Amino acid sequence: MSVIHTDNLVKKFRRVEALNGLNLDVPEGAVYALVGPNGAGKTTAIKVLMNIFGPTSGRAEVLGVDSARIAGRAFTAIGYVSENQELPEWMRVGAFLDYLRPFYPSWDRDLEDDLVRQFDLPRDRKLKHLSRGMRMKAALASALAYHPKLIVLDEPFTGLDPLVRDELIQGLLERAEEATIFVSSHDLAEIESFASHVGYLEQGRLQFSEELARLVERFREVQVTFEGTPRLPEKPPESWMQLNSAAAVVRFIESRFEPERTRAEIRGVFGEVRDVTFSPMTLREIFLAMAKAGRNAA
Amino acid sequence: MKQILNIFRKDLRRYWRESAVSVALLVAYSWNDVRGWAGERNVAAYGAIGGLISYQFLSGLVTVLLPVAWAFLIVRVVQAETLVGDRQFWITRPYEWKKLLAAKVLFVGFTINLPLLIADILLLAKAGFPPTHYVGGLLWMQLMMVLVLILPIATLATVTASVSQMMLAVLGVVLYMIGVAALASVIPSSGFSGPADSLDFILLIVTSVAVILWQYAQRKTSGSRWLIAVLALTVVLIIVATPYNAIVKHDFPQLEPGELLPVQMALLPAKTAADANVPDKEKEIVIQIPLSTSGVADDSIVVVSGVKVSLEAPNGLRWNSGWESPGISLFPDQKATQIDFNLKRKFFERVKSYSVKARIALALTVYRDKNRADFVTPPGEFAMPDLGFCSAGTYLREIHCRAPLRTPSSMLITSDLSATTCPAREGESRADNREIVRDWHQNSDSLAEFGISPVKNIDVYLWDRHDGARRLVAGICPGTPLIISSPKFVRSTRMELEINSLRLADYRLRQDEPGASGFGIVLH
Repeated sequence: MSVIHTDNLVKKFRRVEALNGLNLDVPEGAVYALVGPNGAGKTTAIKVLMNIFGPTSGRAEVLGVDSARIAGRAFTAIGYVSENQELPEWMRVGAFLDYLRPFYPSWDRDLEDDLVRQFDLPRDRKLKHLSRGMRMKAALASALAYHPKLIVLDEPFTGLDPLVRDELIQGLLERAEEATIFVSSHDLAEIESFASHVGYLEQGRLQFSEELARLVERFREVQVTFEGTPRLPEKPPESWMQLNSAAAVVRFIESRFEPERTRAEIRGVFGEVRDVTFSPMTLREIFLAMAKAGRNAA
Repeated sequence: MKQILNIFRKDLRRYWRESAVSVALLVAYSWNDVRGWAGERNVAAYGAIGGLISYQFLSGLVTVLLPVAWAFLIVRVVQAETLVGDRQFWITRPYEWKKLLAAKVLFVGFTINLPLLIADILLLAKAGFPPTHYVGGLLWMQLMMVLVLILPIATLATVTASVSQMMLAVLGVVLYMIGVAALASVIPSSGFSGPADSLDFILLIVTSVAVILWQYAQRKTSGSRWLIAVLALTVVLIIVATPYNAIVKHDFPQLEPGELLPVQMALLPAKTAADANVPDKEKEIVIQIPLSTSGVADDSIVVVSGVKVSLEAPNGLRWNSGWESPGISLFPDQKATQIDFNLKRKFFERVKSYSVKARIALALTVYRDKNRADFVTPPGEFAMPDLGFCSAGTYLREIHCRAPLRTPSSMLITSDLSATTCPAREGESRADNREIVRDWHQNSDSLAEFGISPVKNIDVYLWDRHDGARRLVAGICPGTPLIISSPKFVRSTRMELEINSLRLADYRLRQDEPGASGFGIVLH
């Protein structure tokens, strides 16, 4: 069952198309990372899901509810934290949590205490006097204390130091079993450490969406060594990206890696080769390759 | 209810200082209001006229500051959960819009309406009027405060994100109102808007309510702002498109055949020597048409509610003033009046040498002077029927009254200057003959007047209208006999005065003469 489902979602701001037919499914229990370059439409997608913006066309469902109807009580099951959220800065941390508590029937006072302790939050300090990282932790604590079914995080790690990031991620992962987590980020290194699924958004369109393990599995950096100087094919297979050669070596990125199939494909294109090596890629390398491919295609 | 109280408590915790300031200003206003009831006794209590000045100064200051404090409080509390933008934390929390709105209404009611109601009750009681007799009027005052002040401010607060944005919006509204007033001033007869004013007010209320509900339910700020812009445009269209002449014709119908004119008028000779040469500095020429008046029934008062002057010169030039409101009353004993109007110098120069045809249309409202009662002004504080508690003194020579909720809808005070008991001051002499003077207070028939205080101050004063060298003793002091009456509306009608040969140069009022500006009728 999809906790988040979008169907050809379009969002335009006057003439600018921020979302261009977004089709997205986030399975229940997933830690889904929506990644993409700045301006790709990640924040817009989340704001449409949270009914902060209405869609121009298409539709979205969150926890089985049309996103256009997400309001009031629907938010008792959703925890939303954004990097640029305006908190009531005049409030002290304790008063902020005290104020929010009556809004949520499932608010867990023990969990609240745990989170405050875990995040080392000073209850008596005003939100405006907290560092950026501490504010994010306060926001996250206030979004986790009621056991939301869905946690939505919009660029939560931007500008945070590594220690605070680890604390936030740790706090999140401890709740991952009871909730679906949907997080947008361009911090790929952090995402890689905890996401179960990943979607790549570019120019408002989802380029792919799949399990992270499977994504990492299907991308390889391939190095083919020849006896002499090879000739690059005029029409390489579609799954090959950034094909280039230097002396007796050809390198490319394979986006549909399966050892036997890929070897057979290399033989089919180049004939006999001296050596082939396949190197695993980090998420960052994969996305850089994707971004370059997208730019070249554009 | 839990959510409403939770938000309300949070707002109260945050804005207790602003609330305290507005309550303190209300206390200051009430204290000063009570001082104002003393009238002439203030003079003794606060050191001659200085006491009155300090009262007037404080009254003016607090009367401005208190609504500003209220407006600020409304803006702050509405913008605590600002409806503009997409980054507010609360929009992704389980706020229910109806409960949020209810919490804001509760806050405004608790910090503005409730203290005001309590102050009003205490003021009424202090002024000697049992508050339980005026519950309807007190609630009406609260409603008017909501409609006239709270609702428009709250509406602007829902479509702005900060106090600075709000101030810009208020500045925009002020500029718009100046523009609308300027537009109305150049549209002939626009003072006779009839039901159009009520329509504007209803549109304002409906739009305000719609914007507030829409913003809380949907947060469609640009749509709401458009709605406000449409209202502004509609008001302009109403001003431009209102058929003012038709309204006057409808409200002031021609006399039926056989009906008598409520007043007879005829042209009098020009009182100043003719001088057709206009100094260069005069861009507008004031024409003064003196008229004799007669035939006002003994128990009647004829109010000139509107005047329209049309001119037609033999060279084909035409001009008309549109309907203007001089608001002058003609009493049975009055013999003359005059109509002043301004002409552009260019037009005057082109017609001044001709005898023009003038048509003076008059919109008249006839009142019957009813319930006349003799009254001798007592010393000290006294009760005046259908009015309230009053006092008179020899320093200000007036009756100063305080009335509950509203001033009388129609109260005419008539006195004979020769009977005044006020002591003569240096340079004054007593009127030898019967010299009638009047003060007519008119107001709407509503339950209560709009305002902060439920105790209305009324000053009844009579003065010598003669502008000659001789100054007469005038005014009301203890012992002065008065006639109090309450003129009632009888009918409205229209009449026309045609003057076939009018040489405008003969009636030009020189700029160095008194009253040489504007448009009006002056009584003699």
